[in-house]
Amino acid sequence: MASTSVHIDQVTKRYGDSIAVDGVSLDIAKGEFFTLLGSSGCGKTTLLRIIAGFLKQTSGRILFGNSCIDDLAPQHRNTGMVFQSYAIFPHLSVVDNIAYGLRARGLKAAEVKQKVDTYLALTRLSHLGHRKPRELSGGQQQRVVLARAMVIEPDVLLMDEPLSNLDTEMRMHLRTEIRALQRKIGVTTIYVTHDQEEALLMSDRIAVMRGGRLEQVASPHDIYNKPSTRFVASFIGENNFLPAVHRGNAEAGFVRIELPGGQFTAKLRGELPQGALEAAFRPQDIELRPLDGDGDGLVGTLTDIQFLGGTVRYAIDLGGGHLVQVAGASRTGVMLPEIGTRHRLGLSPAAIALFAPEAA
Amino acid sequence: MSAVTDTETPLRRGGGLARHFGFWPVVTAIVLVLIVGLLLVPVANIVGVSLSAGAKTGSIFENYVNFFSERFYYQTLINSFWVSIWAMIFAVCLGVPAAYFVNRYEIWGRGFVRAAVVLTFVSPPFIGSYSWVVLFGRSGVLTQFFNSIGVSLPSIYGASGIIFVFTLQFFPFVFLLVSSGLKSIDQSVEDAARNLGSSEFRTFRTAIAPLLVPSITTSALLVFIASFTDLGTPIILGERFRVLPVLIYGEFVNEFGGRPVLASALSVLLLSVTTGALLLQRWLSARFSYATSAIRPLQVQEQPLGKRIAATAFVFLLIGFALLPLVNIVVSSFLQSNGPVLVASFTLDNYARILDRITLPLWNTLFYTTVATMLCAIIGTAIAYIIVRRPGPVSSLLDTVVMFSYAVPGIVLGVGLVVTYHEPPFALTGTAAIIILAYFIRRLPFSVRSSVSMLQQISRDTEDASINLGAGPGRTFAKITVPLLATAILSGALLTWSNTIRELSATLILQSGTTTTVAIEIFNEVVNGNFGLASALGTVLILLTFLPLVVLFTLLGKKEEALV
Ligand SMILES: Nc1ncnc2c1ncn2[C@@H]1O[C@H](COP(=O)(O)OP(=O)(O)O)[C@@H](O)[C@H]1O
Ligand SMILES: [Mg+2]
Repeated sequence: MASTSVHIDQVTKRYGDSIAVDGVSLDIAKGEFFTLLGSSGCGKTTLLRIIAGFLKQTSGRILFGNSCIDDLAPQHRNTGMVFQSYAIFPHLSVVDNIAYGLRARGLKAAEVKQKVDTYLALTRLSHLGHRKPRELSGGQQQRVVLARAMVIEPDVLLMDEPLSNLDTEMRMHLRTEIRALQRKIGVTTIYVTHDQEEALLMSDRIAVMRGGRLEQVASPHDIYNKPSTRFVASFIGENNFLPAVHRGNAEAGFVRIELPGGQFTAKLRGELPQGALEAAFRPQDIELRPLDGDGDGLVGTLTDIQFLGGTVRYAIDLGGGHLVQVAGASRTGVMLPEIGTRHRLGLSPAAIALFAPEAA
Repeated sequence: MSAVTDTETPLRRGGGLARHFGFWPVVTAIVLVLIVGLLLVPVANIVGVSLSAGAKTGSIFENYVNFFSERFYYQTLINSFWVSIWAMIFAVCLGVPAAYFVNRYEIWGRGFVRAAVVLTFVSPPFIGSYSWVVLFGRSGVLTQFFNSIGVSLPSIYGASGIIFVFTLQFFPFVFLLVSSGLKSIDQSVEDAARNLGSSEFRTFRTAIAPLLVPSITTSALLVFIASFTDLGTPIILGERFRVLPVLIYGEFVNEFGGRPVLASALSVLLLSVTTGALLLQRWLSARFSYATSAIRPLQVQEQPLGKRIAATAFVFLLIGFALLPLVNIVVSSFLQSNGPVLVASFTLDNYARILDRITLPLWNTLFYTTVATMLCAIIGTAIAYIIVRRPGPVSSLLDTVVMFSYAVPGIVLGVGLVVTYHEPPFALTGTAAIIILAYFIRRLPFSVRSSVSMLQQISRDTEDASINLGAGPGRTFAKITVPLLATAILSGALLTWSNTIRELSATLILQSGTTTTVAIEIFNEVVNGNFGLASALGTVLILLTFLPLVVLFTLLGKKEEALV
């Protein structure tokens, strides 16, 4: 297998005064499915195009395995790139599209045919080999460019939002297909998306990017459950944020904090940030309790109920302009509370994450 | 690690230079050498020669001082302005209403009118002029007819004849550009004005015409430039009324090699005027361009029958005058002739007589045009690629120079090339090569423009995908870019062909006896008064000009506006 590890070392890309990629360092293992996740304009495409060689970084180095590729022209880097716009060759048949990279490498016709056939089968396109791209659906075109990028046995497969132009159903379907194919081939893959669900579902590891910088690099599970910055906490999944004040330490590894409307114990994750704090907790980690019980808990008024079938969402007004979203399961035979009633919100110490507030 | 080892051997192929410096840098260098050598150096040389110190005063401006102090000379400049400005005014006055009626009124025979405009537009101007001489010249068919019934017509010779022919020849600029201008105006503009109670004319004047200003000014200046630089028509019709291009031609041909200095100074004057007009055009269209995009373009309106008939009559009268010389050529090519006097009896004599003498010029014409067209297609596409895909100082220089080549009149280019390439090691005067190169550089903008506009619509990702798959820039250009641009390259080539095959002014300067072309032969037959032969040759040339356009409009589905 031709696949390789990728090392990105302090890569920066400037456009005049603005900075598109800012000191990014990453180590991607051989065979890993690695995702760059971030909203539009955060520098994902720029970084990917630097790796492919279409852009030259302002500073920093990139290594495939242990050889530096910075001076290698893009056609010599042996990466396979899948573009957001497909970039299928419209004048070539499916077979000729897939064979393109092999022919550029001067492979013999028999060898080309054999490899193309293999990948036609892998991407379930065998019956469409002689079609022109305009006779294919979007999903089929996407599979052609995927086969075209994989058949050259690239060192690294680079995918830039490959599913963003497809309808939801096709997108769901191709996610699993791409992932299964990648596992089978074992090619190191750098996948770019702004869709967190896609990233969580497909990746071995995710790098969350923001403004050209890396916010956090971790497994999908850790990205969701242990966001290391307030940005990641707000960007991945849903979170409630409330201002918090440190009120002293509890037993080892726990602190007391005060939120608007009550005191809580929170489990520490690493260092407690200095100065002002913000507490984050996910809607599904909150328990709605009746007012009469006691103990920790914020008290608020139920102002809105959204019934979504399996889940129910409650909006709780804590007063002072603080709204909290609560998600609960809807169980058969259990009555929903009434709007206007007051409730206590229960939170386990492990469900609360503490961050320094975002600089405005 | 395979990244480096895999790619070392099989991928690094291609020419030695390209391997060493990269494909596009090498192509860019070649293109620059061609453009500098064929356009910038000749122009610079003309300027240089024109400034060479005169014998009398020793001043480098002596040639210009001479020009502006001798009436014989400076009068030609005044004459050129005179005919060009009037032709421009008349072309606008006829072209704007014609375009408005054809696009807005339900006139009859709209398709025929469009085809006729195209035919007029692409037919060689000098054929039109001598056809008018055949009809209305001193011994013209119609002159004699009208004389016999006691009516004497205004003269076709001199300033008025030239203005008349230029107007009919060049009003299609206005017609085509204003038509496309009208198509970019949304119907809601008119509806809003009419809704507020404006009459049709008032609506046109206050709501529509302002949006047409860019089309009208651009086309007016194109008419001006075309009139100002035309050589064939004023030679045939001018007689003692001399314009600047005729003076240049006279100075250059009379004493070949003897007074290139004066011819150069005159060329610089001509070039200054055309460059100024082109700059003015760019400034005006930037100044007055409204970013209109019509969701629902102006519709054809229903009109009362009277208006419809009047509009149709106007358009057909104009088209009739514009087509008359062409019809006359074709008809008279089948008539017996005795020198300039045609006799009304059918014959194929003229064609039989041109058969033996047309071989060389026809072969030359086809060969020069084909080679120049292919050069334009190849180099033009490469230039388009550099302009669109490799922005930077070199790219904008290329863009500017290609624009500038519009401004260089054929006769100026001819003089420049002779001045530059008459001595070893580049003694090209009198060869086929110099004519081909002149055609190439003169018609390059067609190919560049056609490919540029298509390339801007093609996502760069497609080419990047090819590079990414290991194909290298040269292979990517050949295997991906060129096939994707195929229709643009083809339509650029067809336009180039049809504009090159009738080239007269540069060829007049550059040809020697063995490198003559069909256009030159026609010109010679006209000057010698052999109208029968000239008509047969003219018919052949009109066919050769028109055929590629038929392909362009039918197979490639282009609109007439592509011609401008
Ligand atoms: N050629 C360029 N010149 C200037 N700025 C650019 C250029 N290309 C990208 N940028 C900027 O760099 C940032 C990152 O862009 P990009 O990598 O395309 O983001 P993403 O793919 O994450 O949406 C954006 O702010 C964008 O405006
Ligand atoms: Mg992007």
